[in-house]
Amino acid sequence: MSKILEVNNLNISFHTFAGEVKAIRGANFHLNKGETLAIVGESGSGKSVTTKAIMRLLPESNSEIKEGEILFDGKDLTKLSDKQMQTIRGKEISMIFQDPMTSLNPTMTVGKQIMEPIIKHQNMSKSAAKQRAIELLKLVGIPMAEERFKQYPHQFSGGMRQRVVIAIALACNPKILIADEPTTALDVTIQAQILELMKDLQKKIDTSIIFITHDLGVVANVADRVAVMYGGKIIEIGTVDEIFYNPQHPYTWGLISSMPDLDTAEDELYAIPGSPPDLLNPPKGDAFAPRNEYAMKIDLEQEPPMFKVSDTHYAATWLLHPDAPKVEPPAAVMKRREMYPSYNNK
Amino acid sequence: METRKKLLEIKNLKQYFNVGKPNEVRAVDGISFDIYEGETLGLVGESGCGKSTTGRTIIRLYDATDGEVLYDGVNVHGKKSKEELKAFNHKMQMIFQDPYASLNPRMKVSDVIAEGIDIHGLAKTKEDRMNKVYELLETVGLNKEHANRYPHEFSGGQRQRIGIARALAVDPDFIIADEPISALDVSIQAQVVNLMKKLQKEKGLTYLFIAHDLSMVKYISDRIGVMYFGKLVELAPADELYNNPKHPYTQSLLSAIPLPDPISERSRKRKTYDPKMHNYQADESVELREVSPGHFVLCSEKEFEQYKK
Repeated sequence: MSKILEVNNLNISFHTFAGEVKAIRGANFHLNKGETLAIVGESGSGKSVTTKAIMRLLPESNSEIKEGEILFDGKDLTKLSDKQMQTIRGKEISMIFQDPMTSLNPTMTVGKQIMEPIIKHQNMSKSAAKQRAIELLKLVGIPMAEERFKQYPHQFSGGMRQRVVIAIALACNPKILIADEPTTALDVTIQAQILELMKDLQKKIDTSIIFITHDLGVVANVADRVAVMYGGKIIEIGTVDEIFYNPQHPYTWGLISSMPDLDTAEDELYAIPGSPPDLLNPPKGDAFAPRNEYAMKIDLEQEPPMFKVSDTHYAATWLLHPDAPKVEPPAAVMKRREMYPSYNNK
Repeated sequence: METRKKLLEIKNLKQYFNVGKPNEVRAVDGISFDIYEGETLGLVGESGCGKSTTGRTIIRLYDATDGEVLYDGVNVHGKKSKEELKAFNHKMQMIFQDPYASLNPRMKVSDVIAEGIDIHGLAKTKEDRMNKVYELLETVGLNKEHANRYPHEFSGGQRQRIGIARALAVDPDFIIADEPISALDVSIQAQVVNLMKKLQKEKGLTYLFIAHDLSMVKYISDRIGVMYFGKLVELAPADELYNNPKHPYTQSLLSAIPLPDPISERSRKRKTYDPKMHNYQADESVELREVSPGHFVLCSEKEFEQYKK
């Protein structure tokens, strides 16, 4: 599989009154062609900042890419001028935002908003763009597309609005689609419809998707690969099966154990103690160490590198070091390992 | 289950908004259920189905259009003197969804928590009041030093703990938790749910837990009610509801929850629900019927026969 996007050693800081917040501290990952990569992590872990950096949507006044590169089709996006970036944003890479209530312009008809990127990027005439917009509305499953074309966002329900947002994002057949919590604001039944729609469209137009969410159920449903972020870093990355059935990092263990599945009957849920790290003064060593019951002395002193688990699976925890003591993961993780014994031997 | 005491009886509760106007909304349209002492009743459904309105009407944030809410045999609604209302507020409290919006930003945490104590005159002296606040803070896993801070100094999970401490301040028996965890991060959700379970065990609280996250509801609840368009369509013990859902809407809802399990996700088949499928006739009476002990389904006589099998 060929890589369509590569993020190397990305470091992003925000300058605030309180000082420099190191929001992203050396993130590395890539996106393969045609796949869906899910990025999970709690709020403040840097998921949205990473994707906004790819789209260059971070505020210029107080944010800064300190280091690193974002390679798309061989070009480093961090080096492009604003003008060049405009030819990529919305055309080659487009984005679906979390809240369909606020990401549409309430004063413009839905049709006009879909036509905008088509006219801008594909030099189509107005009437051709209109045809294309109606086609897109049909594609995302909006009935009576011709009439809906002339309506305003407030005349649509939440799920329908998110379909419109998806239609806008897909208007120019982007190579990469970034979906930043696209279903968090929606009900489960609507969420299921939108996820099905996205998977269906991915097959039809062959895009690669970066899917940000904190809902592990959604991840299991859509992702091919999963990257887990914590404290501005990717701390574990692997195929969806590897992450769900053979997680290695204690933070991933915590995430997986703290979500009850429908059979969980234990008296108490596993809860990750404490709260996320303060990135104004990132802790020395592993950022997760203070909340990690498996933390060793070295975790407090030195940051763990990415250890290889398999060709596709990497995790940044000292527990994978050959000299590290063997530890028993939480019961919920052990149960998952048993569900998928083929990962046990590794 | 029959031997357990009914703490709350909700009888044919209705809550309409804009009554008599063209935009009349029947948010809650005649629902009846009981809540037993010491249990957690989960209430689920999509947004706009009336689950929050039900909670808010039970605690009298809205005046019910029709129907009764009996708390310990006494009707909550209807004309009441100030004393009666106070006595009632003493027993019933609420935890709100948004920990950012539900705490007054201009009040210190100690005052937020002690507001109920002050209103009900539960503290004799200033010292007594502060001691109560400290105790509550500790109960919810915060510490003394937090009492003099303002809400903005806390994270979402901590704020929700403050909201819980505020609800506990008057020593209630019954707490309505309206989506208490949906605004929180996954790792923090588990902390708050554990806290709520612990408090229930220690203080013998009864919860009405309103949520749309079905796996969390299943975990915390003893019984679960499913709402659809202002009506309760199914009510059953938590395991029974998940393993043996009868109403097609419940089945559709359950089939839509993505589980954190990639293998089962790959073979997921979603069911859709169309209210027209019931094809109810005008002369059929559609009501909540008990298909097996403790398992109620909204159905017609004909469906009832099917569901019982």
